[in-house]
Amino acid sequence: MWTKIKWGLRIFAILIIGAFLHYTLPQRDIVQVINTYNKNTPIGANWMFYSIEDTGTGVETTSTIRDIRFIDAVYPDEKSVMVYRNEDTGWFWPPYFKWDSSTLQAEAQNLKSDKANPEWVAITHYGWRLPIFSIFPNAVSVNAVAGPDVRLIPWVNIVILSFMAFLLFMLRKMWLQFRERTIDPVLTDAGEAWDGVEARADAVAGSTKGFFGRIGAWFATWRKKP
Amino acid sequence: MGWIRLAFFGYIGLTIAYFLTAIYSRSVRREKLEKEWDTDPAREGAPVNDRTEFITAGMLHYEKGLKKRLLWLIYIIPTLGFLATIYFVNWN
Repeated sequence: MWTKIKWGLRIFAILIIGAFLHYTLPQRDIVQVINTYNKNTPIGANWMFYSIEDTGTGVETTSTIRDIRFIDAVYPDEKSVMVYRNEDTGWFWPPYFKWDSSTLQAEAQNLKSDKANPEWVAITHYGWRLPIFSIFPNAVSVNAVAGPDVRLIPWVNIVILSFMAFLLFMLRKMWLQFRERTIDPVLTDAGEAWDGVEARADAVAGSTKGFFGRIGAWFATWRKKP
Repeated sequence: MGWIRLAFFGYIGLTIAYFLTAIYSRSVRREKLEKEWDTDPAREGAPVNDRTEFITAGMLHYEKGLKKRLLWLIYIIPTLGFLATIYFVNWN
């Protein structure tokens, strides 16, 4: 029972982190730009999926209606479409530090094409299109590509994810080193001092299980000895 | 104003990372020195003071070494990543 709850929580955490990364990391779509325009967009409870207030495109209106640039695009299958918003991102999250949305809109306009003469572009973007919440992925850059079948290697994501894996690996190594050099010796001392006092030794052994048990036992050694 | 806030909290975070990594790196070096002394058959039965001195000397050497200075990369790499992001998103 307890194991099931623990695994449930772990899987839930992994799903949350995965969704968060999927939203934040850049992705590239190969599309044909069919329209670019501005639209007064009401922003309400879905504010979290739009730029924060103090960015360039965020302060143009004082009400909850914001003038936002959009880019319409169609995928190579000529049926499925995507609507990108084009907003500055500001100084916090997500850390794209984009403030060229006017330029980007002009570039997208310049690469616009019709069905007879399709011009294929790779739109780098982050975010999701969820019609139920009226949220749109934010376009970050647009570049012309040779055709609808080019293969793009996601170097940025490879670098970022490898770096995050490296950080996790280092954190684990640091924790193990800290445990080996700082916590475990203290616990061994405590165990030796209490040798023979069986009940107390058992208490130490019981409290040193798992991450928080060890941390707690280590903090306990900071307290004044009676 | 946004960038000042970002820089302020960003560098606070990096300072924490710097100190944690510095403690870790020092601990690894000390352990390496201890093991080097303890596994050397020629030093079997040497006085405890010699061991302490050996480790102190080794740690002094570490404090002045290249590896310690490489820890500054904890500040340099994120700053470069930040500047590169700004360049590639806005000017490329």
